[in-house]
Amino acid sequence: MTFNFRYNRIRCISVIILTLAVVLFCGSCKKIDETQSTRLQKETDSWKTIDDAKANLIGMYALMRNALAADNGHWLMGDLRNGDFLSTNRADLQAIIEGRLNASYPVINSITNWRRFYAVVNATTIFIERSPQIVKSDNRYTQANNNVDIAQARALRAFAYFYMVRIWGDVPLLTTTHDGDFIKAPRTSKERVLSFCKTELLAAAQVLPFRYGGTDVILPGAYYGLTTGTDPNWYGTLMTRISVYSLLAHVTAWQQNYLETDIYTKFVLDNYTQLVEPGVTDYNCRYLTINELTLNVRTNETQQVNPFAYKRATQLLGFAFEYGYGYSSANGHIEQLTLASPFVPKVLPEIFVPKDSIRKIFTNPADLRFSIDPQTGLYRENYFTQYGTQRPMFSKIKIIEAVANTSDYAVFSSAVLFTRLEEITLLRAEALAVMGQKEGAVLALNKAAALRGYIPYPDGSTKDLINEIFAERRRELMGEGWRWYDLIRYNRIKRTSGTFITKNGQPLTFAQAESAGAIYWPVSQDVINANPAITQNNFWK
Amino acid sequence: MVKVSTSVIYVLFLSVFGIKAASANLVNKHLLVESRLFQQQDTIKKVSKPDTIGEMMKTLVRFNKLRDTLDIFRSKNVPNLSLQQMVKGNLAGVYVQETSGEPGSEQSMIVQGPSGLIFAKKDMYSLQPAVYLNGVPLAQDHPFAYDVQKYDYTRIGPANNLLSQINIDNVSSVVVIKDPFELAKLGPNAANGAIYITTKNAKSGSREISLNSYYGYALQPGVSPTNGAFENNFRKPFYQKYATTANYNTYASYLRDSTNLDYFGKSNWDDRYYQTSPSYTVNLGITGGSERANFRFYGSATQDAGNADKTGLSRYNLSFGLNMAPFKWLTVSSSINAIRLDRDRNRSLRDRFAETQYIPDTSNPLSPNIDNYSSYLAIVDGATDLNRTTGINGNFILSAKFKRLTLTTSLLGDYTEGIRDVFLPSTLLAGISYVSNYFGYNQRLILDNRASYEFDLGSKFHKLKADLGQSFQSDTYKYNYTRGYNGPNDFIKIIQVNGNANSGFDYLNAYGDFYVFRFLDKQRSRLFSFYASGSYKYKNLISVDAILRRDGSSNGQPDSRWLFAPSFSASWSLKHQFLGSSDFIDALDLSAGWGRTMRPFMDDRFAAGPQYTTVNGWTDEPTLPGYGSFIGVARPYTSGYVGYNIPLPVSDRTNITLSSSMLKGRLTAAVTVYNRDDKRQVINLPVAQELGYTTEYKSGLDVNNQGVEFLVTAVPVQSKAGLGWQTGLNLSYNQNRVNALPNGLQELIYQNNKLQVGASAGSYWLYTNQGIYASDAEIPVNPQTGQKMTFNGIALKAGDPRWEDVNQDFRIDQNDKTLVGDRLPKIIGGWSNTLSYKRFDLNFNIFFALGQKAINQYDAARYDFINRESANNITSVREITAWQSFDAARQYPIYNPFSSVVPYREDQDLFLENASYAKLRSVTLGYDFTAMLKNKAKIKRAYLYVSGTNLLTVTSFSGVDPELVNYNGMYDGANITIPKTFVLGFKLDL
Repeated sequence: MTFNFRYNRIRCISVIILTLAVVLFCGSCKKIDETQSTRLQKETDSWKTIDDAKANLIGMYALMRNALAADNGHWLMGDLRNGDFLSTNRADLQAIIEGRLNASYPVINSITNWRRFYAVVNATTIFIERSPQIVKSDNRYTQANNNVDIAQARALRAFAYFYMVRIWGDVPLLTTTHDGDFIKAPRTSKERVLSFCKTELLAAAQVLPFRYGGTDVILPGAYYGLTTGTDPNWYGTLMTRISVYSLLAHVTAWQQNYLETDIYTKFVLDNYTQLVEPGVTDYNCRYLTINELTLNVRTNETQQVNPFAYKRATQLLGFAFEYGYGYSSANGHIEQLTLASPFVPKVLPEIFVPKDSIRKIFTNPADLRFSIDPQTGLYRENYFTQYGTQRPMFSKIKIIEAVANTSDYAVFSSAVLFTRLEEITLLRAEALAVMGQKEGAVLALNKAAALRGYIPYPDGSTKDLINEIFAERRRELMGEGWRWYDLIRYNRIKRTSGTFITKNGQPLTFAQAESAGAIYWPVSQDVINANPAITQNNFWK
Repeated sequence: MVKVSTSVIYVLFLSVFGIKAASANLVNKHLLVESRLFQQQDTIKKVSKPDTIGEMMKTLVRFNKLRDTLDIFRSKNVPNLSLQQMVKGNLAGVYVQETSGEPGSEQSMIVQGPSGLIFAKKDMYSLQPAVYLNGVPLAQDHPFAYDVQKYDYTRIGPANNLLSQINIDNVSSVVVIKDPFELAKLGPNAANGAIYITTKNAKSGSREISLNSYYGYALQPGVSPTNGAFENNFRKPFYQKYATTANYNTYASYLRDSTNLDYFGKSNWDDRYYQTSPSYTVNLGITGGSERANFRFYGSATQDAGNADKTGLSRYNLSFGLNMAPFKWLTVSSSINAIRLDRDRNRSLRDRFAETQYIPDTSNPLSPNIDNYSSYLAIVDGATDLNRTTGINGNFILSAKFKRLTLTTSLLGDYTEGIRDVFLPSTLLAGISYVSNYFGYNQRLILDNRASYEFDLGSKFHKLKADLGQSFQSDTYKYNYTRGYNGPNDFIKIIQVNGNANSGFDYLNAYGDFYVFRFLDKQRSRLFSFYASGSYKYKNLISVDAILRRDGSSNGQPDSRWLFAPSFSASWSLKHQFLGSSDFIDALDLSAGWGRTMRPFMDDRFAAGPQYTTVNGWTDEPTLPGYGSFIGVARPYTSGYVGYNIPLPVSDRTNITLSSSMLKGRLTAAVTVYNRDDKRQVINLPVAQELGYTTEYKSGLDVNNQGVEFLVTAVPVQSKAGLGWQTGLNLSYNQNRVNALPNGLQELIYQNNKLQVGASAGSYWLYTNQGIYASDAEIPVNPQTGQKMTFNGIALKAGDPRWEDVNQDFRIDQNDKTLVGDRLPKIIGGWSNTLSYKRFDLNFNIFFALGQKAINQYDAARYDFINRESANNITSVREITAWQSFDAARQYPIYNPFSSVVPYREDQDLFLENASYAKLRSVTLGYDFTAMLKNKAKIKRAYLYVSGTNLLTVTSFSGVDPELVNYNGMYDGANITIPKTFVLGFKLDL
């Protein structure tokens, strides 16, 4: 037998090496392809199970909460401009108060970027487009559940648009996802956007339940496994039929379509008790006493209905920061701006209401929110503390820690509250007053203020009803992000002819300011840089 | 028996290191066959020497005999702590900047210019070269931890410089690899270049012991402390000129009362802040063994101190190397390094608040008085601050040689673990206590197989060698991080939850003793490579090399995970071709190479395409993962949309080198010209905001680096009387350029910077400051509209800066910003000299960086005190070091600090300064005692030296030190200065 030893050896070794390589190669190729990230979910793996639906549903709400709370935007945009607050020493806040909205400060640049609302628009739109396919792939996810979820997405999207229209006027209206296609959409007229909002809200209102996880007639039973009896439950967390009607009331009021505002506010006021299970009396939705509103006397009972504390049925539309689940934060709350020592370890608050403004706003000596007892000279501390000092502290809202009124730990848990029962009642008063239904308007106004220690519009009063309603709004909703929008609605109703603002020393009436676009905010340069189809609001050019 | 033992070795290491059982079995089957064959190798007689560093080093030495290696012999005498410090100024084309003098803190190296963007600290991670320690590419910290951080000053965790584990007394060579072909051999890890370190290896021969030590001090710098009176004087002109009553009402409260001794008393904080502190090291190396089995052991302990704030680093190294040749044809070698780094970090307020992500009221800063400061430090000393890195890396290499065929299997591993435990008592954080625990690791495992064959071409003129190889790399980065706030008291320093599951639904909840936030994250990536290379040599004249490789990365997108990358190189000996008879020239070589390397993504997000992640909060609150009581997911709206069509980036390099050696090696010189294109890089491109995303990750950023490197070493004096002078100079010029942007864009505004095709990626984008408007009348008026000039819509007033209206539209806005200056230097280099006379020798090192600019953010903040102090954010923090004055400080115009145009904004050239510098890095004077001791003991060498480092800086920069500029070009004055250190040391070889 001839045996070429050398040849054979090399061949063998080569074969071995090759085989080894191929084996390892294939194994490794597989490893290369199978290594999946554990920190994200691929689009292609999404929208398959009920968990995807829940996670994305919560994601939409989280984005909405972020949009409202980021950089304290809800309050900076709602409470500062031409408002009651003054800045202690922050030049950027002072610029907003004085209406220099194009000043060159990082905070202003950040809050004038509308991207945060469009994230809500995009996420809700994705949800509307994609979630129906889960119904097919996961039979735990029922059609009814999906319908309600989509209705929430539509309501949230409409809310985002409404909120943007109030701030920027004309904004691009996008109703499809354009996934990966970064179109450069131009602005759409505010009228069109608002009518889109209304249509969407009306559609959502047909589907949404009053409450989740209970005996609601529309959606009875557990919702994503949670019922009203479990902890956590859904009270105050999600958009309800009441939320949507409240929003409809506001959209129509903004359109000055008070006829419809009347209808929607009536619906809210007639049905709000359905927000909780029949028989629930502690966590229910009700008109709040001053202690319940301000938590100046902290009891279990006052906390259960305080509309700022965590998630509560009293938040007709609000976005909670749940302390117990690690959502307390420093930024994103009015308290960061208004509180200082002794509530939190800080020398001075960033904004405050000056004393003479307080005296002008709270005129009634019986007002439980703030008033000075003429006999003793003592004042009520429900809204303001340290009234005796140069800068009284606005301490109406102070959700600092689970149990205490004060804390060294300056993180806050107050919700971004859009509306509560008193607010809707006052809106109803406004609507009725505009339509000349004085009796109903007075009734609503007095109802809203019934627990504030006095009657704002007693029988036989000859004061201007509209003025009184807005004065009450100013008192009741101070620090809740309403003042600027109230001023606009008020001036639209009253068609005032005095100086509303000045531009470069030129006085402008409200009508002039409105037509010049001054009632809207400028858009951040970042928005314009990224999309040339967006032009700066003329007033701010 | 042989069969069994060989396969046992294989099985052992394969199973230990977690190769999947299935493939291991298969491997073993083949190995059994293989080992049977091995038995037949009795004809091989010669013992092959262990070759632990691989063929690559040999080729390197051949190509780059004189170039780009660190002069270990001289460097040993300088008390450098980290690899970056060792190579600083000593390797051509490697730019090292120590942004802080804090020992053991993170440092960066950039080889031949930045391959990408340098706008954020995070960016630096992807520019770092790979560092190989005995062939193991060390896994560095992963920047993904920045995802949960509000501020990017320091990464969470220990943030130790992992390259401070390199111990020069145990190193035999440090080489920077820039040649395209050599880099291609190293593969995708080395896309940014590589630093290849070989430690001293086990070797046969008689037992050798080396003992080295030094002891010395980092000196306390001299500063001029100030108090409130100085600060008041500084502010006075602003208030006199511009302030209204309202402005006076908000005057900084701590400066109001000039009788307050806390702020207006004696300012002498510096005695407690700065200190002279000891640095020392001691290490021992032992080598010994026979030809068939030998070992090396090395152990070292080092203490390195900073000059301020009690900073320091304790380092312990242990390494062990072993070579064995159980059979004449088989060698087994292994080396293991273990390290431990304990770092005492700075105690600055900024770093503390950035870490806690919680900023208490900042309106009353620290008092400059030593009594107050001491009582504050007493509290600080009560805090817990454990900062530890432990790591182990090593290799296990089996090499079998059968005549012309060599088979090598290497298992390389690196595991580094970081621990950081912090507890701050409530007295430090305005009434709340804080605790955080971090555990994280970087793990890398590589299995590398290679066969190389030397062909017999039947002629001694032709040599041909071929390699076939394959390597599999698996990386894992992980951390667990917990922060807790507001504990019950200052004695409970750990987070405890009510762990009893029966006690209610909230037994693991965030509240309880501490308000707790938890973060877990993990990234895995895998890299697989398969390559073939050939090397042909004709006489001494020409050599040609080529490598073809195919690499796959799990971080690539499914349709583009694999990349084919060829590289070539050729070398031509001009000496042997033309100057064979020349006595003057010993060697003259011309070589050229071209190579392509895949540049794998560090992040695993791109592989997934469109995706959903947990919702985060917003910039100020980045860690709110959901809503209500639940976690929510959404598209990555704030971090950036990931789509498809993102191929793996590549790096293409071309090198041409002319090197020569003359006068019997007394003069060597080399010139290299390089061109590098880093193509298809991904950039987070701003997109139309109306789809909810801030940015989209888009492929298409091409960055080009071109440069020239010049290297010369000479021995001008070498007299018989014992006088000698050796000198070495390296000089590199780099030109960085953006070659292309995604979507064919010509320019792009990116995170307050502008990228423009043709301009350097490190350019600043600034307004041009031309003085001041002294009165309203000076402000230009647009003749067409009658409107005064505006700044972003705000009418300018007297006291505002005169910014240049570049486009002359009477509106100063971002269109008037221009690209100026560069963050990185154009020219870097080092000059080293050794003068020797008999047994004395004197060495000094100079290094320089020229052409870079820096923004003096420290001054900007000082002048913008109105906005800074009222902001109550991280920029309003006033450190103890702010209580000092600087002689070189620049004067700026007195603008109206209350103006809403923010006159002292950072994005103008007012604060742009030339940050070029030259430094006398080290001076060493040594004396060799060997001769004196020779008769008394078996001492091979005894050497005593004194060494001083960081002795002198020449610069026009107005800050403390132009090196302390942060990576993004901002000089914030917050970093600890680089100390002057003097040490006395000895080296003893037995």
